[in-house]
Parts: sequence; C-alpha cells; structure tokens
Amino acid sequence: MIPSESQTRELAEKILKLSKADSAVVHISNADDANLRFANNDITSNAARKLLSLSVTSNFGTRSASVEWNQTDDTSLKDAVARSEQMAKLAPENPEFMPPLGKQSYEEAATFSANTAASGPPELAAWLQPAIDATRTAKISGAGFLNRKISANAIANTAGLFAYQASTTVDFSITARSSKGNGSGWSSCQFTDSQDLSLKSTANTAIKKALDSRGPAAMDPGKYPVVLEASAARNLISLLMWALNQRSSDEKRSFLSSLTKENPIGQNLFGDKATLYSDPTYKAAPGPIFSHDGQANRATNWIKDGTLKNLFCNRYWAKKQNIQPMPYASNVIMPGEGHSLEHLIKKVDRGVLITRLWYLRMVQPQSLLYTGLTRDGTFLIKNGKISKPINNFRFNESPASLLNRIIASGSPERVLGSEGSTPMHIPPLLVDDFHFSSVSDAV
Amino acid sequence: MKRRKFLHQAAITGTVALTTNRSLLQESRAAATSSPLSLAFPSLADAVLNQANQLGAEFSEFRIGKTSSESLHARESAVRAVNYSEDSGCCVRALVDGAWGFAASHEISEEEVLRLTHTAIAIAKEQKGKRLEAVSLEKLPAWKDQWQMPMEIDPFSISLDDKAALLLDINQRALNAGANFCRSGLMQVKEEKWLANSIGSCIEQSRVRIRPYFSVTVVDSKKGGFSNRDSLAAPRGSGYEYVRDYDFEGEVAQAVEEAKEKMAAPGVKSGPKDLVIHPSNLWLTIHESIGHPTELDRAMGFEANFAGTSFVKPELLGKLKYASDLVTIRADRTQANGLSTIAYDDDGVKTAGKEFNIIDKGLFTNYQMAIGQAAMIGREQSNGCAYADSFSTFPLQRMPNISLQPGEDDGVTTEKLISDVEDGIYIVGSGSWSIDQQRYNFQFTGQTFHKIKNGKLDGMYKDVAYQGNSVEFWNSCDGLGGPSTYELGGAFNCGKGRPTQSAPVSHGAVPSRFRQVQVLNTQEEGGSKA
Repeated sequence: MIPSESQTRELAEKILKLSKADSAVVHISNADDANLRFANNDITSNAARKLLSLSVTSNFGTRSASVEWNQTDDTSLKDAVARSEQMAKLAPENPEFMPPLGKQSYEEAATFSANTAASGPPELAAWLQPAIDATRTAKISGAGFLNRKISANAIANTAGLFAYQASTTVDFSITARSSKGNGSGWSSCQFTDSQDLSLKSTANTAIKKALDSRGPAAMDPGKYPVVLEASAARNLISLLMWALNQRSSDEKRSFLSSLTKENPIGQNLFGDKATLYSDPTYKAAPGPIFSHDGQANRATNWIKDGTLKNLFCNRYWAKKQNIQPMPYASNVIMPGEGHSLEHLIKKVDRGVLITRLWYLRMVQPQSLLYTGLTRDGTFLIKNGKISKPINNFRFNESPASLLNRIIASGSPERVLGSEGSTPMHIPPLLVDDFHFSSVSDAV
Repeated sequence: MKRRKFLHQAAITGTVALTTNRSLLQESRAAATSSPLSLAFPSLADAVLNQANQLGAEFSEFRIGKTSSESLHARESAVRAVNYSEDSGCCVRALVDGAWGFAASHEISEEEVLRLTHTAIAIAKEQKGKRLEAVSLEKLPAWKDQWQMPMEIDPFSISLDDKAALLLDINQRALNAGANFCRSGLMQVKEEKWLANSIGSCIEQSRVRIRPYFSVTVVDSKKGGFSNRDSLAAPRGSGYEYVRDYDFEGEVAQAVEEAKEKMAAPGVKSGPKDLVIHPSNLWLTIHESIGHPTELDRAMGFEANFAGTSFVKPELLGKLKYASDLVTIRADRTQANGLSTIAYDDDGVKTAGKEFNIIDKGLFTNYQMAIGQAAMIGREQSNGCAYADSFSTFPLQRMPNISLQPGEDDGVTTEKLISDVEDGIYIVGSGSWSIDQQRYNFQFTGQTFHKIKNGKLDGMYKDVAYQGNSVEFWNSCDGLGGPSTYELGGAFNCGKGRPTQSAPVSHGAVPSRFRQVQVLNTQEEGGSKA
C-alpha cells in the first residue's frame, strides 16, 4: 500500500519546515512493485519491492543544490535538508535559475485503478499462468516480464505548491520462440486497470507470430513500403517527440534546422497524415498531470495535420525568449485513421510487415537519423497479403522524414516499445520507402 | 521498530537479540567498520537466514546496499545541476523447492527484514508444482571478508567549489577556442554492500567510480550545419586522482579544432575500407560484439524477451573461431581501475582466481556465468559474474571487465598499424552503437574519422559509420598495438534485465587494424528527405 495524499503532504510539509533556504522544493515518490520474469516457460525471478525516493532542492539566491535519499526518520530528513543547503551555498550562481512555481491548478488524474492497487504477487502469478500454459501447450519457448506497479508522485515547495498523483500500471510483454529457434514472435500490452487484462490473448499473438515466422526467407535490403505495427511505430515516434525542443531549435542545433531556416512552428514539416498530441486525462493512455517542476500538464497539440504546433520549452528559455513555457509531453496520442491492420497490409503490393524494433540509436542528430533493427516477426507482404517470413534488417531512418511518408494509419493501441514506458496510444502505420540498410541473421 | 531507532540501539549494543544463535556472521565483525549499517548487519542477517531456514529455504541470502552518488552538470557559463543522492535498503533472496523468491525494501529494521523473508519465501512457494525445471545451485565456498577499493583520493572529499570550477573552466576554454556551446559534467558513485548467505559467507565491500565528461558543439550559421565532439575521457573505477591527472586543457583545445575540421570535412564514400580503431572506440565494439554474446544466460534464452539471445550457442564452446589468431579476450574482475572490479560478486563468489579467457587466440573458450548456471554447460562453478545494481534488484549475470589483450610486440604503435593501410580510416572515440538481439549485425559511429591514404593520415571524413557481422569482423583483425598502447574504456550504464538494471563495466583495448570493413555514409543513409 502506498501513502495517501494527506500522508504524503504531511511528510512534504515536515521536510519543508526544516528548510532555512530562500526557497525549497520537495519531491516524494513511493512505489509498490510486484513482478514476475519468466524464460523457457518457467519463472526465473519473482519479486516484491517497496521503494521510496525523497528529494529536496534548496535555493539561496540563484545558487541551488539537490539531495535525494530514501529514509524517513527525523535524523535522515534533517541531514538531507542540511546537506542540500550546505551544497547550495557552495554551488556557483546559476544564471539560468528559475524560482519555484506558486500554487497551480491541475487536471484530475486518470491514472489510478483500485483493482490494480488491490493486487499482489499471488494475483500476478494467477494472471500469468494462462500465458505460460499457452506457450507450453504450443511447444513454444516463452520468455517475458509481467510488472504491476502502484506508485504515487508528489511535489511541494515553499511557494505554496503541492501536487500528488497516484498511478497504477500493469505491463506485460512476451517473446515466443520456436523449439528449433528458427521463428520468434512478440507481443505486449499495458493497462491502468488490471480488470482489462488478458495475458493469454497477448501470449497467443506472440505464439502465432513465432509459428508463422519459422524458416525466414532471404530478402535483400533496400527501400520498401512497410507496415509498422503499433509498437514499432511507437518507438520511432517517441524519438521524434524527445527532439521537439525549442532551445535546440533556436540555437540552430536541432534537426529542425535541416528542415527550415525560419521559425519551424506553424510550418507543415511532417506531411498531412501526422497528428500528435498529449492529454494527461486521456483515458486509454493517461499520463502525469504535472511536470517535474510542478507545471500543469494540459492537452497540447505538437503536430497537427503535419504542421508543427509546439516545442518543449523550459521556464528559463521561455522567459529569455518571451514565450510561454511548455512542459514535455505527458503522454503521446496519434489518433490515426482507424483502418484495420489487414486494411493497411492490403494496400501493399510488395513490402514488409514489422512487429518490433530494437536497439534504436542516434546516428546523425542533424537529420534525426536513427539506426535500429527489426525483430520477432518480420514478414514479406505481397499483393496485399502476408506472404512469408523473411530475415530481419538493420534500418537507418529519420522519424522526422518518416512522418512525411505515411500512406495510411490504423487505430491507436496501448502497447510497449523496446525501451521507455511513457504512456502512448499509437496506431500501426503504412509508410513508404523505409530504408533497410543491411540484413541481420538474428532470429 | 523504526530503522533509526533500531540502528541507534544497534550502535549502542552492537547487536539486537533476534536469535540465540550467535553465528559466525557476528564473530566475523571483529574487524568491521563502525558505520551503523555495518554494525546492524550481522544480527539482521542472522534473523533472516534463521527465519528462512525454518521456513524451508534451500538457500537464502540477505543483502544491504547503499549507493551514494554526486553529480554536477554545466553548460557554457552555468552550473545547472548539483545533486547528491543516497539510496539504501535491503533484500532477501530465497530458493525454495527449486524456485526463487525475492523481496526488497528501503526500510532496514528487524520487523521489515522478517517481513521480507516471509514474502520472498511465500512467492517462491507459489511456484510449487508449476515448474518444468528446478533451479539448482552448485556448491560454493563460504567467505568472510571485507574489501575496499584502493584509491588515492576519495572523490566525495573534494569540494563542490573545486569540481564546479573545473567544469566552468572546461566550458570557458572551449568557448574561447571557438566552440559555440559546451556542456560538461562530473559523476561519482560509491557502492557499499553487505552480503550474508546460508552457506556461511559474510562479506562487506565498497568501491567508487567516477565519470568526467564534456561535449563541444560548433555551429556553421552560414550553411546551417553543426558538429559535436565528445571527450574521450573514459569512466573509471578510480578515485579523484584520475580527474586530477587528466589533461582536460589539452583535450578541450583538440576537441574544438576537431569539431571544426569534421564539420568542414568531406563525407566518406560508402564501401569496404581498412580500419584502424583506437581503444576509445573499440571498447564499445568489444562490449557489444563479444561481451554480450558470451553471456550464458542470454545463450540459454533467459534474456530472450528483452536483451535477446546469442549467436554463440553452447555447442560452439571450444569450437567457434570467433576471431583471428591474434585476438585473446580476457575477463577479469580484479583489474586495476576496472568499473566491474570487486573482490566478491553479488552471489558471494570470490573473483580473484576466477579470471578467464573468453576468446583464446581466436577460439571461443568460455562464457560469463552467475550461480546456478555452470551445470548448463558442464562446468562446475560460476566464474563470478553476478551483479545487482541496487538493494532492490535480483542479481543477474553481468559483464566482468572484458578486454582485448595487447599484441606481444611493443614496437607496434598506432602509426605502425596505419602505415600498412593503403585506403582506410582511423576511428577515434565512441559515438552511436547498435547491434541485433543475437549479436550478429552491428553498426557503430565514432567521434573523429581520420582518412588514411598510402599509410599516412590525410585529413578527416565526416558522416562515417561502420557495419559488420561480429565473427567476420573479429576474424578480419590483422594487427594489434603493443602493451604500451593499451587503454581502458568503459561505461557506467550497461542495461540488461527486467526491471532494467544498469551495470558499470570497463573494456581495455589496444589500437587494432581490421581489413575491408563495410563503411557507410550516414548522410546518404538518411537520404535527403529530412
């Protein structure tokens, strides 16, 4: 059980009362984790964790320092506050310092489920067993991770701000590998409310992909139309989202500089099929209602029908440029066109269906060029149908360029990516001219 | 009992009467340090191990961990963040009926460790009758020991003033030399661990690591381009003496000049080329194309869902010609300044005497292992490669320091390797990296790419990446620098497992020559649409 809002407020006030600084900010994060990890159809580790993180930032003028710790006894609280003050006095003046925000108003959080919060290790084991039974029955080797997290994050400061948000999530992903190791499939899901769980159906998707992908045929690298399933699309779009930065753009060291010499906001840089926005109250993939510095997260358009609408901008840079600050995306939603995956596949004469992307890393910041690989279910699409499994590829692609090549999109799904857990609701995408640079022998 | 109250009591009495069994754990504390956690540990460990034994554990383990870290980050003339963090807590790992259970908490008290013991055992028992195979552990010796990483200057003893001044000086020098932007930082971590297990081990260890960094950016405001050059300073398992002795002044000036030269350089023409790779780049290639593929848990499918599996199947042990005859790759957790260096791993296995060759003169000879894995390949014991990145995480097999051994001839320098290249590139510094989930196909960039023409350096290229297949690449190695060219690279944050754990690891290397490696022009790879 995680501490309530009133218990958290009480602790925050206790810490702030110890402060002798000009101003101070406190963050409190509590987490109750339960997880199951499995491989070769057996559980490999099985954990329950109770975690706490406290931090205090003390400010003297524009000098500032932070201390994080995780013990709540009086001595630890006093030591931490005193240490942060001692460090802040020694820190140099920060010309980019911004004073803490005063009281803010926030949206109502949509991230907590009492059902999920009532679950523990026995429930997790019961949820997972049908998935493991499915891989065993199919004589497929299943490996995966089921994680239930109950958390509460809070911020408070000496200027009167207090915010608290409780959240629950259940993340599940599974890789199914054929007994000879010549086929591999993957699937995932993420929920706020454990009532919505069906791990068996997620497992069955992975099993089918593993069976269908056995004995991949050779296919040359090159540029092809691809159908990116939702997870693969999510990975590429999240890379673009993190690069939408006002300061980098103003300093001419952003990929946006390669697209336009003018102010990029208001320009159609991404084609008419691209719309990305955030809304922390969005029920299907809700996000945090406040940012790390206490700003209110609100519904925000980032890209609308290809036109850049907003860039992330911290409070210092916003003040310097005399514009409004803009917190990072609380979550990312791409509404899509509502087509089925089958419809997207039907539109392809010769192309590739991609289940999952892996190991995406920046190659060239000037063009936002990333490299990465396909894995766990790569198929040739021929004449509008999945024809056969094919080898995996390494790709070199820019998500900024890619949005301009969207032919059609499906209905958004809440799935996991290879890395990162920002809530995202992203559709499968049909994209032209996806650049596969070389073949990977990995299955 | 609340932790502070408990620790206060522990400090006064030296123990808390949880059990009448005054075990060797408590006796081993004779030379213990006087920190509250050191004093509290023996009695808490006894409580856990006794309780676990009574509840039917075949093996049990109690660990307290405390991680302290400090970081400063600066950009241009502003020190933007000064942070200190201290994270402590404890965990219980228990093996019951062939199944693991694990529970962790930030609270360290008698009441809490007993709750953790019950939880760990209950969730292990939950698997009864549901498993295909039982987890089985090899017999291991018990150790009672204390170890502290040797260092000259504790980085936590250096004032923030001095550290901030160093960063601001780096940034100012870069700006004075013509950089448009410069960011810099200094991160330091102290890990303290106390481990006791049911086979009788009781181990207390501490180590420190440090990472200075900077990155300069030059912008061509007329043409609209920009160029970055990151520092080559590697993180180290070292005290502050490493930072004190590093030539930041010299490297900053060099970095700005190289960033300018790179921005003005021609793009490389794609195709096969001979490469001479500096240790500041090659360490990462070793990490990705040899370190990860030879992790036994990956090879056996335990990481299939996230990090992936491996092309190095167990049947290839002793048979795979992984690299040319010149190449020997050694795993060693006792190496001076290594980020993975420690006396005992997080399974309680002593690392001295467990050093091993992964590749011996080109032949694949051994995997990295944690406990419970050796029997899978017919070996007797773990070779000491377990690590948990926090009190709250389950120990996994993680990399020891894995290093390319120098060539025998100390007369072989970088210049000598270059002199035998007609058309190639000398690559320095690590950049982008990516490799497939079975570790066949990789692609790496770097910081600077120096054109080699007829055995001599001849300006720079930009937009360079090299791509290859792990085994083909390592078999194309036909030249190694001698012992005096050896340098240690590494990273603080190798990711693996779920929940993802971050492990520090070093990789030593010498400048090495590889023939006919596929080189890409990254500008062409991206096309002209972005």
